[in-house]
Amino acid sequence: MIALAIETATPACAVALEVDGAVAEEVLDLERRHTEVLAAGVARLLAATGVVPADLDRVVVDRGPGLYTGLRVGIATALGLALATGAGLLPVTSLEVLATAAARAGATGELVALVDGRRGEVFAQRFSLEPVTALDRARVLRPEALAPELAARPALLCGDGARRYRDAFAGAEVLDLAVPPPSAALELARGREPAETVVPLYLREADAVANFTTRTRAT
Amino acid sequence: MESVLGIETSCDETAAAVVRADLVTLSSVVESSIDQHRDFGGVVPELAGRAHVATIRPVVERALADAGLDPQRPGITGIAVTAGPGLVGSLLVGLSFAKALALAWDLPYVGVNHLEGHLFAPLLESPGLEWPLMTLLVSGGHSMIVYQRGPGEHEVLGETVDDAAGEAYDKVARWLGLGYPGGPVIDRLALEGSAARLPLPRGMLGSGLDLSFSGLKTAVVRATEGRDDLALADVAASFQATLAEQLLRKLRAALSHHDARSVALAGGVAANSALREGVAALAAELGVAAHLPALAMCTDNAAMIAAAGLHRLAHGGASPLTLSARPNWDLREVA
Ligand SMILES: [Zn+2]
Repeated sequence: MIALAIETATPACAVALEVDGAVAEEVLDLERRHTEVLAAGVARLLAATGVVPADLDRVVVDRGPGLYTGLRVGIATALGLALATGAGLLPVTSLEVLATAAARAGATGELVALVDGRRGEVFAQRFSLEPVTALDRARVLRPEALAPELAARPALLCGDGARRYRDAFAGAEVLDLAVPPPSAALELARGREPAETVVPLYLREADAVANFTTRTRAT
Repeated sequence: MESVLGIETSCDETAAAVVRADLVTLSSVVESSIDQHRDFGGVVPELAGRAHVATIRPVVERALADAGLDPQRPGITGIAVTAGPGLVGSLLVGLSFAKALALAWDLPYVGVNHLEGHLFAPLLESPGLEWPLMTLLVSGGHSMIVYQRGPGEHEVLGETVDDAAGEAYDKVARWLGLGYPGGPVIDRLALEGSAARLPLPRGMLGSGLDLSFSGLKTAVVRATEGRDDLALADVAASFQATLAEQLLRKLRAALSHHDARSVALAGGVAANSALREGVAALAAELGVAAHLPALAMCTDNAAMIAAAGLHRLAHGGASPLTLSARPNWDLREVA
């Protein structure tokens, strides 16, 4: 079984490749250069492992929530690879990947995974870690709105949203886990069936008014 | 024979096409998200980006199937994808998808300038077209006059200093409460009106061969503000005639200074009836061949990107997998 995992939900870009149980993982970039580094990184990782793309059985991809441009690059890449190789597509969410990685690192009890949502908001979901089970739905909210909930029901925190808004969650333990590791995505997807297609998990309506512009129309 | 898969996602069209080296189009699929943008009076970048990521795979799949190709063994020789100019969040969908295909199929791919794609569109319909060629490229995002001695050898003679022609249509349509996009509705209305009933000032041309449309939009607003007695059809006719007259004057001037043997219209506004008639008449008068694109070739499509890509792959070669989207890519920087 050969599976590739693509991670682009945060400013980081990372890939992992599993060949018959052996996993190689590489963080390609930390600075939002998904478009520039992803395809070249996948090519390099495959070549280094002696895998040709046609050998891929599965492509696991983080569908967010997270950075919209990053998700589009990651998902478009996964869709293209799946079409061209016939590999199965396995979507996972950034929040469940974070929880899986936290459990793998030995964390126990409850955890709230937090991905930076920009515009002063975080994407959040609470998990129980033994085994990893979601306790609510992924949602988007302001850190200040989450703080009272955490005070009433403490949990470990992880993700780049936890790191960025650490001060808003004073007292909570923040794990050193900002980027959802694609190796954890591989682990998470292991028992799942391939999906027909993948779309990003946005959790927000397109902010049509804020983003509105006709200037760049290029028909 | 060599053939290229073209992919286009620079604005609101998600498109894919397969074109052979002799410029025969084997397939061409275009999906537009325009209906999602209507209420906003223009393309909303975030909505366009979302539509591309949802549509890119089925569109490419269909283009391959229509050309009789197996997605796992397509037997093509390269891939061309629009790298700019356009909306960055839209461009990167097609670009990422194309890179993944290039990587998986082990094929060369090239990032194509969208405007150069438009310049190749006439060749798809008229492969025997005589050079040099003068092209009036008019769309919602761009308006320029380009002189070409041969394929890919372009010289921008003039371009808009403010709005694009299609943008002027959209703005005037919005002012008149006609909805979006403005081009088709104004064109239709204009057929029922008379330009003579509302003469607009002619003195708002840009300098030299450059174009300018914001003054015309202002003139329409001034001439119609508070006037309930005017027929919309007459306003539409007058605006359309004045805009076409400006474009044709510039095109005539360009043709008088350059030895073109053919003249072509390209871009979304090339669907405009007044402009088509005017270019045909001008070409006949000057004794050059006119190329007026089929309506399907006016809108953004991927066949034109594939055609430009065939040329680029044959002259200069492939792009690296590290290529970035170039939202402001100037045609003059294409070498
Ligand atoms: Zn265009």
